[in-house]
Amino acid sequence: MISQFFVLSQRGDNIVFRDYRGEVQKGSTEIFFRKVKFWKEEGQDEAQAPPVFNVDGVNYFHVKVAGLLFVATTRVNISPSLVLELLQRIARVIKDYLGVLSEDSLRKNFVLVYELLDEVIDFGYVQSTSTEVLKSYIFNEPIAVDAARLPPLGPAAIFMQGSKRMPGTAVTKSVIANEPAGRKREEIFVDIIEKISVTFSSSGYILTSEIDGTIQMKSYLTGNPEIRVALNEELNIGRGSGSLYDYRSSTGSGAVILDDCNFHESVRLDSFDVDRTLSLVPPDGEFPVMNYRMTQEFKPPFRVNALIEEAGNLRAEVTIKIRAEFPSNITANTIVVQMPLPKYTTRATFELDRGAAGQTADFKEANKKLEWSLKKAIISHMLLWSLIVGGSEHTLRAKLTFLQETHGNITKESGPVSMTFIIPMHNASGLQVKYLQIAKKSSTYNPYRWVRYVTQANSYVARL
Amino acid sequence: MAPPAQSHRSPSPSQPSGKGEVSDLKSQLRQLAGSRAPGVDDSKRELFKKVISYMTIGIDVSSLFGEMVMCSATSDIVLKKMCYLYVGNYAKVNPDLALLTINFLQRDCKDQDPMIRGLALRSLCSLRVANLVEYLVGPLGSGLKDSNSYVRMVAVIGVLKLYHISSSTCMDADFPAILKHLMLNDPDTQVLANCLSALQEIWTAEASKSEEASRERDALLSKPVIYYLLNRIKEFSEWPQCLVLELVAKYVPSDSNEIFDIMNLLEDRLQHANGAVVLATIKVFLQLTLSMTDVHQQVYERIKAPLLTLVSSGSPEQSYAVLSHLHLLVMRAPVLFSSDYKHFYCQYNESFYVKKLKLEMLTVVANESNTYEIVTELCEYAANVDIPIARESIRAVGKIALQQYDVNAIVDRLLQFLEMEKDYVTAETLVLVKDLLRKYPQWSQDCIAVVGNISSKNVQEPKAKAALIWMLGEYSQDMQDAPYILESLAENWDDEHSPEVRLHLLTAVMKCFFKRPPETQKALGAALAAGLGDFHQDVHDRALFYYRLLQFNVSTAERVVNPPKQAVSVFADSQSSEIKDRIFDEFNSLSVVYQKIIVFQCSRSRPMTRTSS
Repeated sequence: MISQFFVLSQRGDNIVFRDYRGEVQKGSTEIFFRKVKFWKEEGQDEAQAPPVFNVDGVNYFHVKVAGLLFVATTRVNISPSLVLELLQRIARVIKDYLGVLSEDSLRKNFVLVYELLDEVIDFGYVQSTSTEVLKSYIFNEPIAVDAARLPPLGPAAIFMQGSKRMPGTAVTKSVIANEPAGRKREEIFVDIIEKISVTFSSSGYILTSEIDGTIQMKSYLTGNPEIRVALNEELNIGRGSGSLYDYRSSTGSGAVILDDCNFHESVRLDSFDVDRTLSLVPPDGEFPVMNYRMTQEFKPPFRVNALIEEAGNLRAEVTIKIRAEFPSNITANTIVVQMPLPKYTTRATFELDRGAAGQTADFKEANKKLEWSLKKAIISHMLLWSLIVGGSEHTLRAKLTFLQETHGNITKESGPVSMTFIIPMHNASGLQVKYLQIAKKSSTYNPYRWVRYVTQANSYVARL
Repeated sequence: MAPPAQSHRSPSPSQPSGKGEVSDLKSQLRQLAGSRAPGVDDSKRELFKKVISYMTIGIDVSSLFGEMVMCSATSDIVLKKMCYLYVGNYAKVNPDLALLTINFLQRDCKDQDPMIRGLALRSLCSLRVANLVEYLVGPLGSGLKDSNSYVRMVAVIGVLKLYHISSSTCMDADFPAILKHLMLNDPDTQVLANCLSALQEIWTAEASKSEEASRERDALLSKPVIYYLLNRIKEFSEWPQCLVLELVAKYVPSDSNEIFDIMNLLEDRLQHANGAVVLATIKVFLQLTLSMTDVHQQVYERIKAPLLTLVSSGSPEQSYAVLSHLHLLVMRAPVLFSSDYKHFYCQYNESFYVKKLKLEMLTVVANESNTYEIVTELCEYAANVDIPIARESIRAVGKIALQQYDVNAIVDRLLQFLEMEKDYVTAETLVLVKDLLRKYPQWSQDCIAVVGNISSKNVQEPKAKAALIWMLGEYSQDMQDAPYILESLAENWDDEHSPEVRLHLLTAVMKCFFKRPPETQKALGAALAAGLGDFHQDVHDRALFYYRLLQFNVSTAERVVNPPKQAVSVFADSQSSEIKDRIFDEFNSLSVVYQKIIVFQCSRSRPMTRTSS
């Protein structure tokens, strides 16, 4: 059972605080914040506090969402998964109601948040975290905050940038907000979000690769009609279940073999074994329909090669090459490549491709890192094409100057190269939503359906 | 508009200091209390919001209690809710004033709207004032019988709240019996779940006082109750499912058929997106099959994939909680996970605590077929710029070397670390080489050749320096410079701050002396003299002991200080298997994350008063 729940800002201010059982002394918010801020691990100066720790018999659980700390305390030996899952869920419910989750929106709507908290937990026991169920207990109306000024947060936010087809406000709409015109826009969003992890060896060979995917849904349909989501027919679950071994997997037609997956509680799998269809009555709010994991071979969207070589006394040269290996009608966003350089590096000069406007390379003196960004936002239209065409290649050359002579192997003093990127409208696994069927209420009922794909880097690393 | 709450720890002129604003609010509330003017509810809302926001940032607004209660005569539900929240927070420190609220709360408990009835009942039970409990029994009794499930749900938790304020009142009213009846008959699953939570808490607390209570507590684990809950489990929402599963994990089935029935019934819970449900299910599976070795092993195979999926989906915090449990299972049955080692490779953006768990898992799953790959991967981390992880990785390589039979390749890798010439890498490696030599003396030639090239000046960390000195003493016949290195160390005795290093130095000089007496004589003299004058008790005592031993008889001294040694076959494990088993029994709890058994205080035993400081 939970003793207290509170939300702290990054600076440690209480934004909401609810004591459910009165068994943890006052001042727990300060104790918690100090502990997190000055966490010490043996042999480390700076360390990150683990999500669960104990101070004087009080257990503190926390998750970071949208730059805020969601914290629960308890004195009993409870399931850590349960509490951390709950904290995450509370954050999601609040977001569903406020439309946007930020310090500002929480402060403006704290009375509504208290209303929610009263119904989510009673005397430390979870009552409900369903946005749908909670609707009948909430009487405050959300005060909207200006979403446009907010930094993009969370996976859904990536859809807000750029693409004109997406209604930008949809993802920041409260489930209980009234539309100005007095009627709700009927729409449903299905997002296929994939995080990919790849490790390339120094010779460019793929050491490990994994895709962690989520099919996320957010429904604004009135009357909660039943929905059928059809996935690829050639979809196998459990490695070894099929004898198929297909290299074409990432380009579509081949079979997709998932290692494993799990489903939201509203999902019924009655016909899943027959035709790979999920049926569900989507509750209000945002929720993951299905999480999946895949280690089957796939084509990584970027090839990364990196090289560091000594070039005479107190000098070295770095070459990083990236090649985009996805179809040419697709654009990647916010690509950042980082590489830790030897500690004794004092200076770095860069040489970019000719005409590489929009690219910047920088030497971060403080943590001795090289940072190369290829941001779509500043690339002009023509140059954009050079980045996205399949097989297009970009190279960064850097000349390093050292303070002292290198000893031993220079490749052991630097690297690995890591890369982050976002590729909208692309997924690496080949998993697809073939169709989205909404049980018809009438022949004129034709709500908006948005099926969106996005691929993100999780741990994308090339070794030296 | 509520003022954005600023930090009350960094006062600024614009920030509410408390006093002035509170008295301001007081007079404003007074004005509104009797007013029936149109729009008065809106003004009240704004004022109430201000009060609540002050309360949140820690300003004491308890002095407004009377005014707040006066303003609570309203039909506006938003206002009512804010008022309930306020009253719940301050009734405890204002027991006399709390009496004022009883009236309107009791009236609201009879309201037509079930929502109001429920909210009022919840607030009434949350007052936490002992002398008001008599007012709770009536409304609770009717709340439990209410036709609306929301009111019943609130009433059930209300009974538990009453129990915590006054257990005798709760028991005298025979509420637990009513809860038991509701648990087995109520159509609403949340009511049922709340009954289960409340009864578990009440019977556990009462069990020490009465035998009947302890029988009742055990009855929750009886076959009829468990089957009743299991049969309805799919109607429950995810959180009560966890509650039921937690209970089922404690149930002892009568035969294996029962075990398989339960497992078949719960099989699909392993595909739930909520990690808490999956872990609770896994606990059931593991506990039920403890005595069936084969099936237990199959359970491990079955739960691998869902656990790995949970680790990679969800937030880093959630995945850490799951990974801690995976870690426990891997430690328990490394053989079953030896082909999954790639899942335990670290990702560059993971936090230290996650990487540490993964390194430990990689260490234990290493076997003849995967060691080469695992050690290669670990060597990558050892060269990493992330120093704490580099250290942990080197330790991991060393541990793998100590548990393997074929250490040939690993020794080479370790020695390569020494050639990297990074201080912390050298330090960690030296400690490992020492342990390795104690287990595999046959490698001494190769190791000593490399270690001999290390200058003791480049080794600063006490543990590493002690290891180097140990090797100098142990292998002084093979290391040409040993007596002279030891001599220079002994001469600079006062520069050595670590008593551990000084102790090792004494012993090493002694050992060296027995092997190469003429060359070591000077070092021995210096070390013993310095040791006798040492401020550290242990160092002083050891020096004195050696001195007297040598005085008595040199060959006896040699037998004591440098007897022929047997290779160490197994290094003691840091954690006893008994503790490991107990942690396993507490699967899906904090013990797993902390990796230790913690005696948790029962919340009942703590007084409900808050400290006034």
